[in-house]
Amino acid sequence: MADAAVLTAFLEASVRLGVPLALAALGETLSERSGVINIGLEGSIIAGALGGALGALATGSAGVGVVAGAAAGLAVALVFALFVVLLNTDQIITGTAVTLAGLGFTAVVYQSRFGTTGTALTLPTLDPWPVPLLADLPGVGTALFAQAPTTYLAYLLAPLLWWLLFRTEWGLEIRAAGEDPDAAAAAGVRVRTLRVVTCLAAGALAGVAGAHLALAHTGTFSEGMSAGKGFIAIAVVVLGRWNPLLVLMAALFFGAASALQFALQTLGFDVGYQLFLAFPYVLTLLALAGWVGRARAPAALALPWPRDGA
Amino acid sequence: MSGRALPLVSALAALALTLALAAAALALGGYPPGEAFGALLRGALGSPQAVVSITLVRTVPLLLTGLAVALAFRAGVWNIGAEGQLYAGAVAAVWVGLHAGALPGWLAVPAVLTASVTAGAAWAAVPALMKLRLGVGEVITTLLLNFVAIDLAAWLVHGPLQEPRGVFPQTESIAEAARLPLLIPDSRLHAGFAVAVVLAAVLALLLRYSRVGFSVRAVGASPPAARSAGRMPVGRVVAGAFLVSGALAGLAGGVEVAGVTYALYENLSPGHGYTAIAVALLAGLHPVGVVGTAVLFGVLEGGASAMQRSAGVPAAWVDGIQALVILSVLVVDRVARRILVARGGRG
Amino acid sequence: MALDDARLDAWAGEVHAVLGENGAGKTTLLSALAGLVHPDQGTLRIDGREVRLTTPRRAWHEGIGMVHQHFALVDAMTVLDNLALGRRRGGGFRLDRPGLAREARELGLRVGLDVPLDAPVGSLGVGERQRVEILKVLLRDPSVLVLDEPTAVLAPAEVDGLLELIRRLALEGRAVLLVAHKLDEVLAVAHRVTVLRRGRTVLEAPREEVDEGILARAMVGAEPEPLARRPGPPSDRPPVVRLRGVRVGQRLRGVDLEVRAGEIVGIAGVEGNGQRELARVLAGRRDPHEGSVHGPDDPAFIPQDRRREGLVEGFSLTENLALGLHDDPTWRRGPWLRWSALRARTADVMDTFGIRAQGPRARASSLSGGNQQRLVVARELQGRPRLIVAENPTRGLDVAGAAFVHRTLLDRVAGDDPAAVVLLSTDLDEVLALADRVLVVVRGRLHPVPPERQTREGVGALMLSGGGVGP
Repeated sequence: MADAAVLTAFLEASVRLGVPLALAALGETLSERSGVINIGLEGSIIAGALGGALGALATGSAGVGVVAGAAAGLAVALVFALFVVLLNTDQIITGTAVTLAGLGFTAVVYQSRFGTTGTALTLPTLDPWPVPLLADLPGVGTALFAQAPTTYLAYLLAPLLWWLLFRTEWGLEIRAAGEDPDAAAAAGVRVRTLRVVTCLAAGALAGVAGAHLALAHTGTFSEGMSAGKGFIAIAVVVLGRWNPLLVLMAALFFGAASALQFALQTLGFDVGYQLFLAFPYVLTLLALAGWVGRARAPAALALPWPRDGA
Repeated sequence: MSGRALPLVSALAALALTLALAAAALALGGYPPGEAFGALLRGALGSPQAVVSITLVRTVPLLLTGLAVALAFRAGVWNIGAEGQLYAGAVAAVWVGLHAGALPGWLAVPAVLTASVTAGAAWAAVPALMKLRLGVGEVITTLLLNFVAIDLAAWLVHGPLQEPRGVFPQTESIAEAARLPLLIPDSRLHAGFAVAVVLAAVLALLLRYSRVGFSVRAVGASPPAARSAGRMPVGRVVAGAFLVSGALAGLAGGVEVAGVTYALYENLSPGHGYTAIAVALLAGLHPVGVVGTAVLFGVLEGGASAMQRSAGVPAAWVDGIQALVILSVLVVDRVARRILVARGGRG
Repeated sequence: MALDDARLDAWAGEVHAVLGENGAGKTTLLSALAGLVHPDQGTLRIDGREVRLTTPRRAWHEGIGMVHQHFALVDAMTVLDNLALGRRRGGGFRLDRPGLAREARELGLRVGLDVPLDAPVGSLGVGERQRVEILKVLLRDPSVLVLDEPTAVLAPAEVDGLLELIRRLALEGRAVLLVAHKLDEVLAVAHRVTVLRRGRTVLEAPREEVDEGILARAMVGAEPEPLARRPGPPSDRPPVVRLRGVRVGQRLRGVDLEVRAGEIVGIAGVEGNGQRELARVLAGRRDPHEGSVHGPDDPAFIPQDRRREGLVEGFSLTENLALGLHDDPTWRRGPWLRWSALRARTADVMDTFGIRAQGPRARASSLSGGNQQRLVVARELQGRPRLIVAENPTRGLDVAGAAFVHRTLLDRVAGDDPAAVVLLSTDLDEVLALADRVLVVVRGRLHPVPPERQTREGVGALMLSGGGVGP
């Protein structure tokens, strides 16, 4: 049946597109739980994409590319964390600047390395790792379990982060830092250290997400290819109510929304490619409008700390 | 926000820091900074024609979006959506401009600009409503709407509004009557420049001296105090500032269409709405300062292609430098605050 | 310059009281002990060993446990999680909730602190939160226990229980530092007293050698002026404000109140019983969910948190005064505000209200707390309002500042055209000294206090009626 093939392709694309969102959003969940909203996530993603591309190109190994992507994402997040945590600058403005820096300087590096002509780069790609047995499940098997290895990282991270946040002393401290940093500090929690660490972890994961975009998704790099995924990831965290398990599901849901364009095009709907591109953003907005009223963000999210500045 | 105590000194310090960082980055990338900056300045300011037709033309959208951001931030509204509002304004301006052929010029141009202002405000109304009615923060919503607006514009120029031959992804040119007159004959500098400068002055006066400007400043500085001590309708002030901010950004789109491009196409804006954040912050969110910083960024952008041509430095450097400006402003702001505290001000 | 040459010695097995006016540096001194503030100069020795407390963690390690005045508890978490926070007994990984619960229950039983371990802290009343805070500190078995104004938030009957507990904890061999500003409490429990004034230690003596007079003089530098007012006859003027059946969620549950011109109505109560909402409804700053409010158009409101709600700290003095006038046609010309006239007026007001600042253009953030409060009072009273709502108006002020606020309120209910004043305060002495009538607010309901019971004991008993405190 052609329809079944379309459905399988749709599910496969949903997961493939959802994974970078999931990775970035899971990291962001961690940093937001500690009280830091990182609008610079987009910068980490694009840096991760370029880092991944360069790493894979230099070594011929997509795996090395992923590691390079993580490092690049982490480096961008380091700048963000230094400003926000140590200088105590405004999180929104700093994040915006970091995103702009990421987009600008990746373009610079790309252009100085490959010229401005726009010839497409061909990169080694992350080959799917079919999971024995699971990949053979009827219907969803290939879609969920014959994917790039970064996919399984997202699957594993969601329960792992849930356990970390809700079942360990570190998680308790992270959540306390995000709810009431004064109280946490008075109890002996190293709020700043924790926040730097969660920001860096979020940056590294966003870097992996970027590497996934370049290596698993397209096998190429283009300027601005992150296309707002960092911002959608932040919305995904809201929709997932700062709970890693729900965040993973929300991310896959958005992957499905993005995959819809391919499925509908295959089925012969021709409304215009660009409208499909806009669809995930609109859906995110609708979801925020309908959902956010009932969820509660960490109380100290995005607030400067210590409060009196200097 | 930024060090208001000594805004000019702070801005200059931030600028110096940016230049130092940019020079270091250029040197690190293997480009002689002096040569690169020289090429940039020659390209932007090397001749009267360059100043007027390149730099000042580039300044106009930056000035208008910069004012939009400055106003919003002064009111405590994180409108990161000037880019999308600009596109909304451009779309509306083109649509009216295409149908304005029958109108006389004195009517067509205002109609085009009014359309862009209205569309920008409408585009901002969505996040404003979501913020005030549903409690959804405006940072993410304005960012997301940027992508929606850009995709929408792309769809229009590929579909419903594409020029009749269907070759290029752009619209037809708008009617002659709907185009902005030139300020200086035989240049490309259009009347939009004068409009923007006048608006900056008006905004500065309103913020500083008027009752409504006072409300905006109070609400931006402390919503609880504005509500309790000032008996101000905080939600209405926020909504008003948000809409006017969107209107200014929309006007930027309209002025680009009516004064420069005469048509809509993909990538009409190379990110003016984001650059605007750097423009506004470097100006200490002061409208008159925005005129200065917008010209400065006009120089950067205007000279970028010359820098690429004669010094081989990719034009994308300029995007990176914008980010460096914001980060430098943040550093200088923190340092200034620490100095103020050390001088015996309260913490 | 919060502290300047302060000294403090604490001995194991003793309760050492630290006294001082608001702003004398008590909290700063203790914050230095908790590792929250770092002294520019001076030494700290524990058992003769010099230590540097750079962070709260270090203070914990050195055996110093602090019970903060504004509790350092995370509202969104359960009591048990708050007890676990920051201890790292599982090396970061294992969060042993059952083990900790057992330990907390045992300790609670031993010292007589009963807390609901599974309740979110945000749902607890003030007294319960304090018990949680104390238990949290005791679980770490500190050798030095520091309590910052622990009685300030409690009803009188609860205070006795707490003082009893403090004595027991000292007897177990701890050094207990108790910060207070109520002399009688100090004299009841302390073995040794230190008095701070303007950041200096001005007196240190064993309990036997001091009495209230000595301590009071040491605190203020002179005999304090007793604050007293004989309540006048009941006002026969018409009511200025009238509340009927006012409800705000669970915070205010059916409140009726009438306040007449020429009277000060005092509303006493433990913090968090609905005062915040009541003050804002009275002052027309918010609408109730149910019930009716009849009052003047533009009541004056002196909010408790002047830095957040009373002022815009980044604004000049002129701009802060204009906050009350920007809608007044006198100060406008078309859309423009008359700034030069407003500046001249500000200079006048600075004179009248004794606001010490560099000038009308100075920023509110550069003023001291007392001068900030004068600025708020000046703005709120500038239109001769019919109704004045004051919410803990002297909190954090020194004696001169508090006296100014009290005098101003008394002035406004005297004379031929008096205003109506509602004073909501958690400071029972302030309410008793100023009010013509006293009401107690407990769990969102108002209870009038009969004139014969308008004493500390009488009001204190009412504050606890309804079986405890809390929302």
